[in-house]
Amino acid sequence: MIAFTQQEKKVILFLLTMILAGAGINLLVKLNSPAKKVILLTQDIGKVNLNTANQKLLVQVPGIGDKLAQRIVEYRLKNGAFQDTQALKKIKGITAYRYEKIKDLFLVD
Amino acid sequence: MKNQFLVLTLIFCSGIFFASLVVFSLYLAYILAVIFLILSLVFYKKDKPFNFLLVSLMFFLGAISLYNSRIFPSGHISNVIRYPARQPYVFKGVINTQPQFKINQSYFIFRIDTLQKNGKSYACRGDILVYLKSREPFYYGEELILRGDLKKPFINTSQGFQNYLYNRGIFFILRVKNDLDVLRLNKFRGSLLRKSAFYLKERIERIILKYTSNLTAGILRAMILGEKSGIPWFVNDAMMKSGTVHILVVSGFNVGIVVLVIELFLKLIRIPRNIRFILAVPILIFYCLITGISTPVLRATIMAITFILASLIKRENDSYNSLSLAALLILGFNPNQLFDIGFQLSFVSVLAIVAVYPRVKALVFKKEVKIRCLRWLMEGALVSFAAWIGTMGLIAKYFRIFSPITVLANIIIVPLSCLITLGGFSLIIMELIAPFFVRPFAHSLEFIVSALVYINLLLVKIPGASLSF
Repeated sequence: MIAFTQQEKKVILFLLTMILAGAGINLLVKLNSPAKKVILLTQDIGKVNLNTANQKLLVQVPGIGDKLAQRIVEYRLKNGAFQDTQALKKIKGITAYRYEKIKDLFLVD
Repeated sequence: MKNQFLVLTLIFCSGIFFASLVVFSLYLAYILAVIFLILSLVFYKKDKPFNFLLVSLMFFLGAISLYNSRIFPSGHISNVIRYPARQPYVFKGVINTQPQFKINQSYFIFRIDTLQKNGKSYACRGDILVYLKSREPFYYGEELILRGDLKKPFINTSQGFQNYLYNRGIFFILRVKNDLDVLRLNKFRGSLLRKSAFYLKERIERIILKYTSNLTAGILRAMILGEKSGIPWFVNDAMMKSGTVHILVVSGFNVGIVVLVIELFLKLIRIPRNIRFILAVPILIFYCLITGISTPVLRATIMAITFILASLIKRENDSYNSLSLAALLILGFNPNQLFDIGFQLSFVSVLAIVAVYPRVKALVFKKEVKIRCLRWLMEGALVSFAAWIGTMGLIAKYFRIFSPITVLANIIIVPLSCLITLGGFSLIIMELIAPFFVRPFAHSLEFIVSALVYINLLLVKIPGASLSF
């Protein structure tokens, strides 16, 4: 019923060995994969990451217009990453009142 | 014997089937497979023991493939969430298919990488089906954060759809209510190749929609691009009853046309034969990506590439072996495909044509038929008959339909569908090279499509054409 030549047998055995070994490795990796990691979600629904958002994303935040978004990006480029949302108060156009309105819309990682 | 590859493939499939029915230890199956492999290496010079050991090894390899495919790492969504809670879930991930839009709603497969629940975030993997109520267009490869209600597909969906999703490793459906629950991260994380394929698909769809009516566009999009969403339900229903619904699926014929077009074009610009064949392979793979890598197209593409490679290395091409190779590659990647209706119908129909057609032809064509049209018609009828014989059982099982009209319907409908497919490809090429001829050409195409739909509707009205049970 099945009649392979010696060369065909060698090729088949080589392929099947590789496949079986691969299946074993795949299974070991899956069974020993690291446990659930708690990581920071760098964005969230309704929150924008101050350190990664571009101008286009910042403009989507209610209360932030084109000019203010540009200033935020420029501040970040000049002074490095935001350490917390309080640093927004240092940007021209973000008063204490405005800060209270928008602080919950941002996150910092 | 030439068809030993087919025998091994059938044994592999038996192993998968056995594993689906019997609760068997994966470790025991693996140990047995290793033992058979070692013994095969020891006895490889002796034919009979080697054959027995090889068959046993293939059987257990099939079983191992299936068991392995049903084990997921601890970070997979099916292990992280056993039973979805009633509160909204937040996922971050990337759109992994071309989004479809239907009645104010987009739907796509979403490949997740982070899950947020109860204020905590978890690294989480897997695919979910997302239904998103939004008028905004979404794109393949777009990174999103979504919030919605998570449900298992076992609730509110039919068994067939549940199995369809499960066979593709999708265990949950996320329903996102509106745009406020979507955050677009303006990043592309998909494959550029697939993005290009989807872009080309959209361009072709626009050409089709520009020059044809909704009905013709729906049928052309199904036949050329594998996009069935535009087909009216009454057309699909009539074709199911007449046993001609297979023409709405992109398959071997379409792949054949692509190869023919490539061949003709490259021959025109004097490219040598071997280089033509080599160039055809990536184009076929690209066409496969355009049509959404469905099982019939994948099967046909693998068989076409096997044929091309066989021609290049001057070996005889064997249909059984190339069909077996296609089955092994598809099942090796996802053994659950064995239980998919599309996979079963695609492979069984081709196997039936390859096995039954030559025998029936030898019986019927005892004397040579000299009139070419008559011979062509009879051969077409025999191919349809062979496919019908092969798939009759599956169609009765899954669709509860028996269609005695199938052979007659296929004799009339299949040549029309060939004309429509050829016409569709020609329409697209014509738009690029001779746009002034497109409109009259499109009118002819409209006529042929209308004829096909009308004839099909007439055929199913014949008493006894189709029996539902």
